[in-house]
Amino acid sequence: MLYPDLQEAFIHLVNQHRGILHKVCRLYCFTETDRQDLFQEIIVQLWRSYPSFRGDARFSTWLYRIALNTAISDLRKQRRRITLTDPELLPAELQDIQYSGEKEEQLQLLYKAINKLTEVEKALTMLYLEDKSYQEMEDILGISQNNLRVKMNRIKDKLRKMTKEAAYGIGKP
Amino acid sequence: MELESLKTIWKELEPQPTPEKDGELILALLQKRSRGPVARMRRNLIRELLLIIVTYIPLILFYLVEFEGRLSAISGLVFLLGLFFCGYYYRKMLLLNEMQCVSCMVRSNLARHVKTLKKYTRFYLLAGTLVMPFTAIYCYAILHWNLPHASGIQLYHRLSPAPWWANSIYWLLLLAPLTIAIYYLNAWYINKLYGRHIKKLQELLREMDEE
Repeated sequence: MLYPDLQEAFIHLVNQHRGILHKVCRLYCFTETDRQDLFQEIIVQLWRSYPSFRGDARFSTWLYRIALNTAISDLRKQRRRITLTDPELLPAELQDIQYSGEKEEQLQLLYKAINKLTEVEKALTMLYLEDKSYQEMEDILGISQNNLRVKMNRIKDKLRKMTKEAAYGIGKP
Repeated sequence: MELESLKTIWKELEPQPTPEKDGELILALLQKRSRGPVARMRRNLIRELLLIIVTYIPLILFYLVEFEGRLSAISGLVFLLGLFFCGYYYRKMLLLNEMQCVSCMVRSNLARHVKTLKKYTRFYLLAGTLVMPFTAIYCYAILHWNLPHASGIQLYHRLSPAPWWANSIYWLLLLAPLTIAIYYLNAWYINKLYGRHIKKLQELLREMDEE
């Protein structure tokens, strides 16, 4: 081990924020294998960039940037797209979490809706769901706050419409 | 379903921490190498360079030593081609190194990626096209000035007892369509390799910018 202290600090920080990484992988990949690949790639990129992390930005902002940059620009061919309609198809790390029937259903609706969004919209949705302010979103994405507000309103409408349609079976054959 | 309730569900998705197990997993991942597109391009480039070195050095030595050194001009050609490739790989590596800034804002990283990838493909096309006339002109020079005298026999047939400049023109006339064909072949191949990737990145960038 070349830098045990650095490595230890890195692992500790990543562990604290690993929920973010799992969520990014879940949003951008459709199969477990793809998710694992992306998770690995994000960790590798984080580790490579870690020595240059000076704490100018918050660690979570820095981590979001790297995770989203890796997920968005990594345009490898995705494996077979899976639509989450079966609880068994939920991401592996979520299968341990017990949900009530209603929550389970809502969770699936949420994933189904998010899967229909574009890569950029997914990033915005994730930051919105994580309760990030427009200032933080701008720091991560580099999109002006005015533009973010316009986009966010559009995405909220889309999500509302899609989750309603799915909940009431609108648009199903 | 209200969006606020989606937020609540989303927050409940946080996996339960298992520090020891996760620490080991992360530690294991740190030993792995990147499988991202830029890292793969870099690895391919290094492999190509190694292949050039491994094949060109024996060739250079062979033509220097064999045939009593009479074909050393071919050694020179291979050496120049090798130098050309080294410059080519160096430039490509520089471009690959500046292609990504993963800790930058997403938009600026995308813009940087698109810009550098376009530069990379333009350079690929230019170098891939130029290598053809460069090699042909050098071969012509070898045949015209060097080898016939060195071996004492005529290695190529003159088209006619035409003046020296006529042969050069015939050669160029043959070379021009060949270079154009190589250009289009390269353009097709580069587009096949990177076209979809560039288009997708441009679409993402456009989507980020539009209001």
